[in-house]
Amino acid sequence: MKNFSEHQRLWFYRGLTLLVTAVLAHLLAVWAAPRVIMYLLMHGPTAQKMNMHNQAAFPEAVTSESRTVVMPSPDMLYSVCAFDLRAGPVRVRAAPVLAHYWSVALYAANSDNFFVRNDRQTQGRSVDLWLVAPGGDPQQKQPPAGTEVVVSPSSTGFLLMRVLTTDYQAEKAVVEPARRTLQCSRG
Amino acid sequence: MSKTGHWSLRAKRIAIGAALYLGAVVLGLGSAWWVLKNAPWLNPSVEVGPWRANMHAGSQDAGMYTRATVAVNALLALGRDETMYFVATRDDAGHALRAQCSYRITGVPPQARWWSITAYAEDLFLFDAPNGHYSLNGATAVLDAAGAFTLSTGPSEQPGLYWLPTPGQRPLVLTLRLYNPAPALQAAPQSLVAPTVQKIGGCP
Repeated sequence: MKNFSEHQRLWFYRGLTLLVTAVLAHLLAVWAAPRVIMYLLMHGPTAQKMNMHNQAAFPEAVTSESRTVVMPSPDMLYSVCAFDLRAGPVRVRAAPVLAHYWSVALYAANSDNFFVRNDRQTQGRSVDLWLVAPGGDPQQKQPPAGTEVVVSPSSTGFLLMRVLTTDYQAEKAVVEPARRTLQCSRG
Repeated sequence: MSKTGHWSLRAKRIAIGAALYLGAVVLGLGSAWWVLKNAPWLNPSVEVGPWRANMHAGSQDAGMYTRATVAVNALLALGRDETMYFVATRDDAGHALRAQCSYRITGVPPQARWWSITAYAEDLFLFDAPNGHYSLNGATAVLDAAGAFTLSTGPSEQPGLYWLPTPGQRPLVLTLRLYNPAPALQAAPQSLVAPTVQKIGGCP
């Protein structure tokens, strides 16, 4: 930089600082996007209205009016729960009696899908999970007999139960009770 | 230089500096948004015909960009051992899909326990379909003698074809979902026999 004047050096470093600022803002936004979106999903106005904090909630069947989560599947009926393990484990139970696909999926606070059980895997048995925080249960509670212990990678997260329905109105009497078997409660 | 002039010059420099840094932050945020919205299925991706898939969608192995892209464009996706998602934003000829055009989509049922093809607008929500048809799936598809299904999307119904209405003048996004895909397909997603997407006639 010997051949550059003081003024040119100053502008070079200013430009470099601006470039670094832009790159950092870009990376921070990409890193934060899934976490912010999940936070809004778990704590936003719709979540508040549905009262899904450590308890199951049952959104309306998907239509063109469904605008909470992008790419809603019109072939699925959903049950949801925003779990919070900071005060202790959460027990998740579901026992749909259906001849076709259903699943219970757990998502971490960064949006990763870290656990899923479907009807084929359960082979007619119910899902009974004892969901604990990454560091374990501070109260050292014993998991109830018969539960499957699942360690969440984050202390908050989201549960999505999917129940296949090809014709909701025709199958309502079967699929509604099935999805309402979901229970999500403090352990 | 007078004391007032000195302070005026300093205030001007601070204002310009602040504006430049604000611009840099806006550029960083804007570029992030652009990347996440316009490059929705970044590598590692699979392309089969006009369909693309990111094999790390929903996975804990996803990199920072894949995770963010999925959160913005397909939140709460499942991993590929449970569900595979193929997305088409172009037809077989490589032209961008548009709601005001009609398309014929033909294929054979994929190797999966359950499958569906859904039409979304560019905001990734469903079209307001007057007939209530948002998707064609393994239960609603009627197969011909060759074992193939055909559906149409567009502003008007095509005779004899299952119709997914796409009202309005806006981009169209098709999503092919495969629930519990066959292990062979999970291992080699490019082996998917992809449905063809062909434009019917001209566009208004």
